[in-house]
Amino acid sequence: MALFERRDQLPIPPKNAKAHNTVCQYCNVGCGYKVYVWPVGQVGGVQAGQNAFGVDLRNQGPIAGQTYSETMHSVITMKDGLQYHVVAVPAKDSPINRNGDHSSRGATNAIATWSEERATRERLKYPLLRVGDMFQAVTWDEAMNVLAGVAKGIRDKWSDDEIAVKAFDHGGSGAGFENNYGVGSLFFKGFSVKHISIHNRPAYNSEVWGSRERGVHELNYDASDARLADTIVLWGANTYETASVFYTQHMLPNLQGATVAEKQKAFAKGEAAEPAYFVVVDPRRTSSLTAAEQAAQGRTLHLRPNLGTDYILANAIARVIWERKYYDMNFLQNRTDMQKFEAYKSKSLGVGTAYANFMAEAESITGVKRADIEKAADWIAKPKPGGAKRRTLTIYEKGMIWNMKNYDQVAAVVQMNVLSQNIGRPGTGVGRQGGHQEGYVRPAAPTPGSIYNGGPPVNVDKYLTDGNGKLYWVIATNPYLSTPNAQIFRKRIHERTKTLTDYLGQSGEPGTTQGLVDKILKGLEATEGLFLVVQDLYMTHTAMDAHLVLPASAWGEANQTSINCNSRLLRLYEKFVDPPGDAKQDWEICKMTAQKMAALYRKEGNEEQAKRFDFANKWAKDEDVFLDGANEFPNNKIPEQEEATLPAECYKGVTYAYLKQVGQQGIRTPVRQDPATGKLAGTLRRYSSKFGTKDGKFSWYATDDWQGYPEEVSKYLEGEMAGKYPFWMTTGRAQSIWQTMYNDRLLPEKTTGLPLPYVEVHPQDAHKLGIKGGDIVQVWNEEGNGNFMVYITDAVKPGLIFALQYHTRGTSNSMTSGYTDPKTTIPWYKGTRVNIRKISGGLPDILATASTLQNNKFD
Amino acid sequence: MKAVISRRKFVQISVLSAASLGVGKAAYWFAPSLPYPALKVGNINNLQTGQAVYFNYPDARAQAILVKLGRQATGGIGKGRDVVAFSAACTHMGCGVQYKEGRFVCPCHFSMFDPAKNGQVYQGLASTYLPQIELRLDSNGDIYARAIGGLIWGRASNI
Repeated sequence: MALFERRDQLPIPPKNAKAHNTVCQYCNVGCGYKVYVWPVGQVGGVQAGQNAFGVDLRNQGPIAGQTYSETMHSVITMKDGLQYHVVAVPAKDSPINRNGDHSSRGATNAIATWSEERATRERLKYPLLRVGDMFQAVTWDEAMNVLAGVAKGIRDKWSDDEIAVKAFDHGGSGAGFENNYGVGSLFFKGFSVKHISIHNRPAYNSEVWGSRERGVHELNYDASDARLADTIVLWGANTYETASVFYTQHMLPNLQGATVAEKQKAFAKGEAAEPAYFVVVDPRRTSSLTAAEQAAQGRTLHLRPNLGTDYILANAIARVIWERKYYDMNFLQNRTDMQKFEAYKSKSLGVGTAYANFMAEAESITGVKRADIEKAADWIAKPKPGGAKRRTLTIYEKGMIWNMKNYDQVAAVVQMNVLSQNIGRPGTGVGRQGGHQEGYVRPAAPTPGSIYNGGPPVNVDKYLTDGNGKLYWVIATNPYLSTPNAQIFRKRIHERTKTLTDYLGQSGEPGTTQGLVDKILKGLEATEGLFLVVQDLYMTHTAMDAHLVLPASAWGEANQTSINCNSRLLRLYEKFVDPPGDAKQDWEICKMTAQKMAALYRKEGNEEQAKRFDFANKWAKDEDVFLDGANEFPNNKIPEQEEATLPAECYKGVTYAYLKQVGQQGIRTPVRQDPATGKLAGTLRRYSSKFGTKDGKFSWYATDDWQGYPEEVSKYLEGEMAGKYPFWMTTGRAQSIWQTMYNDRLLPEKTTGLPLPYVEVHPQDAHKLGIKGGDIVQVWNEEGNGNFMVYITDAVKPGLIFALQYHTRGTSNSMTSGYTDPKTTIPWYKGTRVNIRKISGGLPDILATASTLQNNKFD
Repeated sequence: MKAVISRRKFVQISVLSAASLGVGKAAYWFAPSLPYPALKVGNINNLQTGQAVYFNYPDARAQAILVKLGRQATGGIGKGRDVVAFSAACTHMGCGVQYKEGRFVCPCHFSMFDPAKNGQVYQGLASTYLPQIELRLDSNGDIYARAIGGLIWGRASNI
């Protein structure tokens, strides 16, 4: 019996199977994978000498053995018309996923590949043009004629300001340096687009300007620092679920005391080396916390600040560090800007206010007890027995980034760590965990920084919903689910795209390319219509409203390069299958668009404009784009002490041949070329000598005082509204599914257990509302509505619910407000007020097949 | 692999492949696809709710767990449809899962499985449900393991 098809034997890769090195396509951890491809009809044997794994498949021990699970095999058809077995298993020689560890996401890399035999047959194969209000297949040439015709018409009649773009800026997930450079070159070199936003937010910005503008890039530590730290702090980061192998291979062994020998080797002689302490700052009792409570009894501390108050808490911990003199004045004087430090001291640490008064105020704002704040400061910064400096690694993620007041939140946690010199030493660092991998290389972006550095960037969502823009081009993201205030956004974009569709005609539409282009341009002038282009792997919710859909090729369908987040480890993700149909890499699509634009301009003798679009002519293959992108980086023939001057992702000097040679060991960016020998050198850990500012000194920042909640949320806290919307809602992710589930929604291994988006409700609230696990509820407020399945759990406090942010069947973003931090235009996805009601009846199938057991209870 | 092949050549390749490699049966095996032994693993009248019984199946090297859950389960046998059995090797990296208060917990990396829902992973790093063992009940109340619906960790074939 099984809820979906299962296997009890799998094809064994023969010794001569083609072996490829690659890296998982999903989360920030970037586990190493090995892919084996061989023709259907051949099989290897169980003995070590008879298979490509080189292991005896009759007798494997736990952990040490090679995992080859049912989800790690698929059969695909290549362009030669033959069928091949594809096996994607965790690599055993990666410094990241040591021991061949892997998560429930990466383990499905094989079954997520395109196959006509699986649900992934849904992949887009051909360009689709909306003709007569239905999608009809067209050739790439026709698609490009329409797209370039409309884009050029908009430039001629109006300007690039009418072209709005939403595109990925990340690595992994079929993106990487090559596709980033393709997209960046098209929109910043060819077009001069300023209304562009990043995949998961409404503007083109860094989520961590609060750190970068201090001189600290967010990826400054190495995964091994989690093995060496005396204390690990997770602040708004649920690493066990969202960076699982970083937790199980680097944090958990340290909590269990299994890395003490490594510590003794890395630390000064005689320095205390004990199992780590663990501080979790999160409104929820996350599984990262409760698993640690099992592994490190008595060495865990949980701080649960009120939503939005984290920066006040970080400042209060820093005040304790100051008060108890857990800092090194030499470090502060030599490495940080002491003039700015005075402002930080007075504003953020409130040194002019008596300690007891300052702490009482912090306690009342954050809801965290003074004793716990002091305990956290001791665990983070108190010198160890014997006097050695404590080594604390602080990892933060969306709980801080997508918090109210993004800039101040991130700045406060970074400053807390720098005050106690928890940066640039083994076992320290203050950085983001990351969500996806990275791979950013582009010409200069239109927004240099926060409000303190030429910002804030434009809110492109608002630009569009206000009725501006003529062309909206969405690449590899699904904003109908992923943008804040998503309900208003998708209703408005739907309305505007339909307006244009209606304008094209009630019956017959123009049959010639030029006729269609002309009519679209006329419609864009005469109405409020919007021409929507979506470039993606699948027909997404957003793509359903598009006029033109462009099929992109995915992970494994081309060579790509990316870095992971926790070690900045650059590796080559080798091509191992052909893309479906005529799908193409994003950089190839950008190249085709550019060449078509150039041709249109040349035809009318406009050489000046044509030349802008010639950037891609020299890109014949993936490595050409990679090498061309490297020219964006500054001179990297510099000594090690100068590493802070380099962009975090600098890979200048690296070639595909080099990456093939180093394989899973990769090279850590920023890469330098030795000034004497020219030899490539990676950077294990950043800021040991200097910070990334002009003078090399850390740039302190005085955070704002507590000013309460922004109007978009405070409206729910007053009068009648407070009764109408009695619950706080925070949001986040789940272990087993990746982002909007674009692949996972096709895998029964994922959808059976998580058939719907869900909310976590405390037992007391559930009792009051008369709901139980597996019930279906509506969650709503004045912004939007969403239907969710219920989990009852003590992960949340009474009065607070947690909602899954993205699911193919709905999103908590419908209820989030349009508020963004005025300093950065980063949204607050993780806090608003809502009401809940049970939808009468139930779905017996869900009750029968989806588990509702409490997923943070391990004891 | 990008080379374009003529339709005629494609047909030739396909026919050749089909003839020489036996394409039909090569791609997938749906569980249960192997000759599993019938093994007596207990008697329904001796089972106590919540008490796990360990046994080996389909051979001496594979540990399995039989348990009466006290709640109806997918594939459960007995009056309450609550008696189920699973491979005890965690599908993540092969450690032995433990039965604790109505669920299976892996001590190595904390994967958790719901025995009432086909061994569904509801937390943790495992991607695959625990393989559920098909049980049969005879008129004496004896319980027999009959087959396994899923691949035991570490193997390329259950038998």
